[in-house]
This record gives sequence, C-alpha cells and structure tokens, in this order.
Amino acid sequence: MSDAEPGDTDCREVLAQLWLFLDNECDHERRDLLRRHLEDCGPCLEEFGLEGHLKALLARKCGGDHAPDALKQRLRQSIREIMMRQAHAGLSSER
Amino acid sequence: MVPPERVERGAPAQSAHETPAQSAHETPEQRTTRFERDAMPLLDQLYAAALRMTRNPPDAEDLVQETYLKAYGAFESFRVGTNLRAWLYRILTNTYINGYRKRQRQPVVHPTEEITDWQLAQAAQHTSTGLRSAEMDALDRLPDSDVKDALSQLAEDFRMAVYLADVEGFAYKEIAEIMGTPIGTVMSRLHRGRKQLRDMLTGVARERGFLRDAEVAS
Repeated sequence: MSDAEPGDTDCREVLAQLWLFLDNECDHERRDLLRRHLEDCGPCLEEFGLEGHLKALLARKCGGDHAPDALKQRLRQSIREIMMRQAHAGLSSER
Repeated sequence: MVPPERVERGAPAQSAHETPAQSAHETPEQRTTRFERDAMPLLDQLYAAALRMTRNPPDAEDLVQETYLKAYGAFESFRVGTNLRAWLYRILTNTYINGYRKRQRQPVVHPTEEITDWQLAQAAQHTSTGLRSAEMDALDRLPDSDVKDALSQLAEDFRMAVYLADVEGFAYKEIAEIMGTPIGTVMSRLHRGRKQLRDMLTGVARERGFLRDAEVAS
C-alpha cells in the first residue's frame, strides 16, 4: 500500500462504504470508484473479502429452516374456516 | 466500459402471474386461493425469520400462525404488484413487537443506538497484517449452530436487521419499511450488528482452536 495517492479514493472512505458495496446499495459510479480502489489496494481488498465472506457465511448458515408440516396444515385449515364464515356473513355484512 | 445491459429479469413473469388483481368483486374463495397461491409458499422463509426472532420453535410457530392469520384477514388491502414478501415480513415484525414479545419469557435487551453514529463509530482503518485469510478459514470451519447461536445473541434490533439484509437479501429501504425505522437506523443497526457478530464469531473460532490469538487481526 502506498500512502496518500493524490486524486485516489481515500482508504477510510472506502472502508466506510464497503458494506454499501456489498449490500448493493450504491450507484454505478460509486461502485466503479470503489472497485478501482480495491483493485489497487490490497489491505482494503482483504477487508472487503472478509466482510463479504461474513455476509455469505450468514446467508449460508442462518436460513433455510422449514416450517413444520403440522403448522402448514393447521394454517390452511384455519384459513378455510375463516373463509367459510366470511362467505356466510358476506351477504349480510352490507349496511 | 459499457454498463451491462439491464434486462429486467423476473419482472414480466411476476406481473403475469399477479395480474388477476383483486377486482372489486373478488369472492372470499378467490381471495383465499390467491392467498394460498402467493403467500403460503413463503411460509418457510417467514418461519425461519420467526425462529431468529423468538429463538425457539414453539414460539416461532405461534408467531407465524398469528402473522399468517392477520395477513389473510388483511389480504384485501394488500396491493397486488407490490412486494408481498416485504408485506408479510412487516406483519411478522409488527406482530412480534407489538404483542407477541410481551408474552415472551426472555427479557428483551434494547440496544442503545443513535441514528447517525454508524459512520462515526466506524473504525475505518485496516491492519495490513495479511492474516485475514486465517480468520476467513476459521469462520468457515464453524458449524452452523455456532453461527446461529452468535446471531441469536445479538440484540433484537441488530439481529433482525442483519438477518433481513444478509439472509433474506432485503434492500435497506425494504428493511426500513419492515422495521418501521428510518434508513439511517437500519444502517446503524447493520453496522453494529455485523461488527458484534464478527467479533463474536472470531471469539468462538478462537475458543474452538480454529484460530490462534496471533492470527486475529485487530
């Protein structure tokens, strides 16, 4: 890492915005700017890699649970029951 | 460099199946069919989120059930073509915060947070130790349960923000709507939550012997 390249994006600024990049929350212009900095700056790129890794890790390990079938059945049944009641009450509800 | 062509993937297909809009005269049967077709397939996702909120399966089931019954009851007011998934998550979150949480045994820890401090708090410095890859490898070796446990230890608001962003892939704006907070608050929660999570996971990795002290770059 060379210090203070004039005209280049500052490391502090880049690091503050890494997550905007990872979360896909910045515009094309900003993305290009960040990407260019990351190509030239090893330490920032490492940090970027680690944060991105953390994000992917969470996505991989913290989702994917399946609701119990009993819950699904119970819900469908409840919904059908409510629907039947509504269908009965439907015509008389106009006031 | 020419920006990649912006093909609107997904959009046409979705609108095609969402066009049978709720006409003024949609019958309860039609509405129910529409609900079952569009909302029921999202049940697993909502259940996973509920699990992260409540941190135990029976409570998660109750929460999801309550959420779905509310959603069904309000389905008439759901605007076709808008984001059903975000709408359901909003109901889930509201149900949890407004009613459900009060009944829960576990005490709620409220994080102290200020909306604008996420940038200030950022220790925007990197240490060029070149040991980051060791940390990455160590995190990869952690079993799923360790990662879930770490997430569950975050304060609730942080936990949900991180979950919605990183597991569910919601945009900041959507998370703000789901959680009923300004975007700045979402960013603050994400920033703090992720920082804590990373520290926690690194700690666990060290406890497990996946990472030596010297390898922790901080």
